[in-house]
Amino acid sequence: MSATLTTCPYCGTGCMLYLLSDEQGRLVGVEPSAGHPVSRGQLCVKGWNAHAFVHHPDRLKTPLIRRQGALVPAGWDEALNLVHQRFRQIASAHGPDSLVFFSSAKVGNEENYLLMKLARAGYGTNNVDHCARLCHSSTVTGLVETLGSGAMTNTVACLDETDLVLVIGSNTTEQHPLIGSRILQAVQRGCRLIVADGRRIKLSRHADLHLRHRNGTDVALLNGIMQQILELGLEDRDFINARTENFSALQQSLAAFTPDRVAAITGLQADEIIAAARMLGSAQRAMLFYAMGITQHSHGVDNVRAVSNLALLTGNLGRPGTGVNPLRGQNNVQGACDMGALPDVLTGYQKVADPAMRERFASAWGRPLPERPGLMATHAYDAALADRVRAFLVLGENPLLSEANQAHVAKALARLEFLVVVDIFPTETTAVADVVLPAACYAEKDGTFTSTERRVQRFRRALAPPGEARADWEILSALLERCGISADYTGPSQIMEEIAAVTPSYRGISYPRLEESGLQWPCPDHDHPGTPILHQQNCTRGKGRFSPVDFRPSRELPDAAYPLLLNTGRTGMHWHTGTMTRRSHLLDREEHSAFIEIHPEDAARLSIRDRQQVSVESRRGGVRVMATLTDRVPPGQVFMPFHFVEGAANALTNNALDPESGIPEFKVCGVRITPC
Amino acid sequence: MPPRSSPTKTQSIYAPRPCRLLSVTDLTPQEKLFRLQLNDGSDLGHRPGQFVQVSVPGLTEAPISVASSPDRHGFFDLGIRRAGRLTTALHALQPGAQLGVRGPFGRPFQLETLTGKDLLLIAGGCGLAPLRSLLQYCEDHRNRFGVLHLLYGARSPADLMFKEDLHDWQKGACFNCRVTVDHSPADGCYDGATGLVTGLLDDLDLVPGRTVAVLVGPPPMYRPLLDALEHKGIAKESIMLSLERMMRCGIGKCGHCSIEHLLCCQDGPVFWLPEIEHLRGAL
Amino acid sequence: MLKRLDRSDLEKLLSALATGYRLLTPQRLADGTRLLRPHGEGALALQGEPVQRKPTEAFFPQHDPLLRIGEQGEVTTCDPPVRPVALFGLNAADLGCIAFIDRFFADPPADDHYLARRKDALLVGLTGFSGPGGDVLPPANGMCDLELLAFGQNWLGVPWTPRGEALLEGFPDGEQAEVEELLESARTRGNPAQDLLEKAAGLVASEVVPDDFWREVGDRCILCSGCNLACPTCTCFCVEDRQEQAVTLRSRVWDSCQFDAFMREASGHNPLGTEALRTRRRIHHKLAADVTRWGEFGCLLCGRCDRVCPTGIGIQAVAAEILARFGP
Ligand SMILES: Cc1cc2nc3c(=O)[nH]c(=O)nc-3n(C[C@H](O)[C@H](O)[C@H](O)COP(=O)(O)OP(=O)(O)OC[C@H]3O[C@@H](n4cnc5c(N)ncnc54)[C@H](O)[C@@H]3O)c2cc1C
Ligand code: SF4
Ligand code: SF4
Ligand code: SF4
Repeated sequence: MSATLTTCPYCGTGCMLYLLSDEQGRLVGVEPSAGHPVSRGQLCVKGWNAHAFVHHPDRLKTPLIRRQGALVPAGWDEALNLVHQRFRQIASAHGPDSLVFFSSAKVGNEENYLLMKLARAGYGTNNVDHCARLCHSSTVTGLVETLGSGAMTNTVACLDETDLVLVIGSNTTEQHPLIGSRILQAVQRGCRLIVADGRRIKLSRHADLHLRHRNGTDVALLNGIMQQILELGLEDRDFINARTENFSALQQSLAAFTPDRVAAITGLQADEIIAAARMLGSAQRAMLFYAMGITQHSHGVDNVRAVSNLALLTGNLGRPGTGVNPLRGQNNVQGACDMGALPDVLTGYQKVADPAMRERFASAWGRPLPERPGLMATHAYDAALADRVRAFLVLGENPLLSEANQAHVAKALARLEFLVVVDIFPTETTAVADVVLPAACYAEKDGTFTSTERRVQRFRRALAPPGEARADWEILSALLERCGISADYTGPSQIMEEIAAVTPSYRGISYPRLEESGLQWPCPDHDHPGTPILHQQNCTRGKGRFSPVDFRPSRELPDAAYPLLLNTGRTGMHWHTGTMTRRSHLLDREEHSAFIEIHPEDAARLSIRDRQQVSVESRRGGVRVMATLTDRVPPGQVFMPFHFVEGAANALTNNALDPESGIPEFKVCGVRITPC
Repeated sequence: MPPRSSPTKTQSIYAPRPCRLLSVTDLTPQEKLFRLQLNDGSDLGHRPGQFVQVSVPGLTEAPISVASSPDRHGFFDLGIRRAGRLTTALHALQPGAQLGVRGPFGRPFQLETLTGKDLLLIAGGCGLAPLRSLLQYCEDHRNRFGVLHLLYGARSPADLMFKEDLHDWQKGACFNCRVTVDHSPADGCYDGATGLVTGLLDDLDLVPGRTVAVLVGPPPMYRPLLDALEHKGIAKESIMLSLERMMRCGIGKCGHCSIEHLLCCQDGPVFWLPEIEHLRGAL
Repeated sequence: MLKRLDRSDLEKLLSALATGYRLLTPQRLADGTRLLRPHGEGALALQGEPVQRKPTEAFFPQHDPLLRIGEQGEVTTCDPPVRPVALFGLNAADLGCIAFIDRFFADPPADDHYLARRKDALLVGLTGFSGPGGDVLPPANGMCDLELLAFGQNWLGVPWTPRGEALLEGFPDGEQAEVEELLESARTRGNPAQDLLEKAAGLVASEVVPDDFWREVGDRCILCSGCNLACPTCTCFCVEDRQEQAVTLRSRVWDSCQFDAFMREASGHNPLGTEALRTRRRIHHKLAADVTRWGEFGCLLCGRCDRVCPTGIGIQAVAAEILARFGP
């Protein structure tokens, strides 16, 4: 009967909870942590069910090697030797950049660190990336440019002191529920709320202003709001003068975004835009929240810049109750980025292109490092199809269901000479792998996750992994050893010491200091209390930079052949490709099949009844799903979650990429629907 | 106190009893008739209107009404629509397959109070399955009842369940049997009535004081039927209906089938109208 | 026969309990959470807010294996641990909740699975000055095997069953008079929450609370299910099968009536198809339906749903809102 304090394995909110086990050591339930500053004795439905998939019979329990076409059980040494040998062969035949390493926002910081060390020091390539490419690469690119740091600037607790919340492109009560509920609590005590979202999400029912702008017109909307703030003289002149640069360029760029023009682009009324400007401009403290609705566009970085511009213009930065607050999706997507599981940076965003940074790591690791930034995950598929890349190692991800344009990804994976997947469950991707390595899940190992508010916190081992499954850090250490790099770590705590030594923002972080509710980076030394709010005196880059942006339409808009706009995302019950949540009984019971939300007007025109099977097609593929008639979506738009393999939204989505961040346009493409 | 069914005694109330599938017959494209026998050869011991929890390992259980009379010995029938995971798995079974059942559970049709009465038996769609156990019982004990009316409505001719039984009932002397379908295709194969089941009531001769109405059908069927019955002068106290709700245990513990303070699995599924008509969510 | 226990007597009582039972005692964990944990694992936290996890989980756990079905269909039930459990440190509300679900599960047909765990279990109440910061908790007056009323540095031991009596044997005698002060203090405090609940219940039962109110409240629900999972009188469950090597483990799992699929049928028909209807059901169930069925409220005011709800719609918050808006 144990109670193990650990961190929720689902979203980036970073709630802490107890995993409870019975006399036989089986997990029997979850209890929220009372003292944790974000969970505060509460959880969302996924957290309450965080134990449920752990004992699922489908868990991978032995390494598998493909022999005569079939995956068959193998020993660890055999499997690891094979992986190493094939990677070596391919690297020596085609160069180290023919290897690609996908890290995971589901594994610990220590494991992300080891994976990027393995890629860079072990096999000599910067081709390392992870699913942040698909969620917040736009944020990292955009905010590093404007503020100097790509992370959420403030902290969740700031919601208790803010006067206005703007939520744009985030279904917060479903995707970051304990942040969404904190927003609802703020509204209860009188805080004002603006929701900018085409869908009628739960938060919008509580909003003072709900802006249902067309998907993909965020830049126009935000520019329009800023143009009016200037027009009304509501900008924060003191802040602009003292803390920012490039203001006049912004001013010029906004001139064209008059309310009428913006109304025409966004589908809003001009006075809605003016009302938003008035509210934002007059709030003492405003927090701007956004998520995938901003980032997952072919102009995702521009969207982020526009949000950042708005915060700078209104002086909502560096103080309690303000800030640019991108909500990171995965429980450890912040950490995976911090750990340098990205093609262009090492830990703490230290650029690989900078010789001094490379030198720091080369001397710590005793290996020279590759100079050229590596491939982004989303470019790796094209590279595979062009034979520039020949082997992938995928750690805890299911790209066959999570990447845009499924058919394209499937073709690329099939083209590879060698595919290794490390996972806890069989997935669509393990099914096509050459080697599958069974991993311990979050409940079966130690480590740290970094939440969306930059809180580095512990997850702890509550039970042993099933069968022969091993912790990812053990698997990666074994591969590092095979590369001749000593990796006889006693455990993740020791790996964290190594991380702290090479990472200024993590330098003060060590396991003993994380015992209770963790530390928020930057934490530059062992006495530093952590940093709940960034950019307080100065921005990380010095001055906050206004980065003017122009409106660019989405790459594929509805047309005569594909007349409806497809928006994609998640639901509150499921997590991504459903590997864990669809194996959690209650969550699966709640939502057990694929669906598409259609507005009743569109449905009537297409003769579609509620709960009827329909076929949905885009230029890239087609699926059959159940129609759900609802006015949550506006007329002309349909919405599909991407959790369900049997009705995969990403068979339809467009892999048009943002030129800077490489993020695909998950939020906008054209589809047509016919009843079956 | 709410009405209660009598408790059943078993070893563990959650342990299914093993039974064997004797035969499977297609009823409609979505519905099949399953004939089962308990492995120990004993009778199920049910009364018309009761249901069993059918257990399929890996897919938990589903409540299914018994569709045969307790007086037909050595087997019991279940008429099952393919609705989801468990029922789809059942539809794939072949005779000889092993299954588990718990039960019978639930309050049956109150046969005592029906004795000597004219019965107006109305089924919609899948509701003919539970009603069939009562119909067979009436056949087996014809002299206990007065006039027996049977009204049955289905979506289309293809959706009519128990076609052979219907044929017999229509031909036989036991029931005044009327059948209707909502829509009939223009292929001319169906020559029966069309329209909603309420329409069958219009010209039916009933003696309100002597008639008890028994209704089994999908939730949307009840409101219009009750209005029509009121029109016919049938007192609320003489109307019995079956309310099916989501159920996981069948024995009043899981909570899924509650309507206000009542539990459909224990206090129902068969209710007298006055017991439930005032409750939110009942009708 | 009343007894007076000092700290060392209390330790003696606890070690006596620990020999016969799997003894769980209230402990405060590193992050501040107060839970019932195996005795001796950490320091006792004899004062404080109610233990966070509902104590009824000892008899009705969140994930509760019922039985195994073998390849040939043979069924073996999952039996409770050999040693019965002793729950130490329950307040009057929690003891009331246990009594409530005892009756629920024992009602024919009795739930043998629950009763097997419950049968030999021992309940020890802890009341008197043992609330947060030493605040007074009302006496339980039964519903347990023995009750300890904290006063000063001591406890007055009150046996309520023969087992309780046996356990208290040998300790020095105590006097009712010693706890007069605390009884008085509990009396004068009254029970404002109970009054609130009763008034709100009257309004709910007489259907004066309009659907719009439930819509407004339901709009805040983020479907976390915490209110139900935390509630000691919530007994709803769903059933889960897991198959491994042809053996099926059938378990029951705590469910929540705030979920959309709680009553959704295979056809899509859903008598509780909106958050408004579900929120109404949860409150109505405890304040009205349970009164009709069982003759008493299904809420014993343990406080957990108000503590756990991330959007402030626990039962007392809703009752207060109902009273403020539709009360006299
Ligand atoms: C008292 C009673 C008698 C019934 N009698 C019959 C009958 O004679 N013939 C027949 O075809 N159907 C009957 N049903 C409906 C039948 O139980 C459901 O169609 C069946 O449970 C669907 O299960 P599934 O696993 O195939 O569907 P899924 O949608 O996959 O269901 C998942 C789970 O939900 C539960 N569930 C879903 N729908 C219902 C429902 N309508 N009622 C209760 N539980 C549900 C089941 O327990 C099932 O395990 C009856 C229901 C009740 C309550
Ligand atoms: S809000 Fe996020 S971190 Fe918190 S319990 Fe839910 S999924 Fe887990
Ligand atoms: S206070 Fe809430 S959790 Fe406690 S018994 Fe009442 S309804 Fe249940
Ligand atoms: S605790 Fe609150 S938010 Fe969660 S399900 Fe219950 S009412 Fe809804």
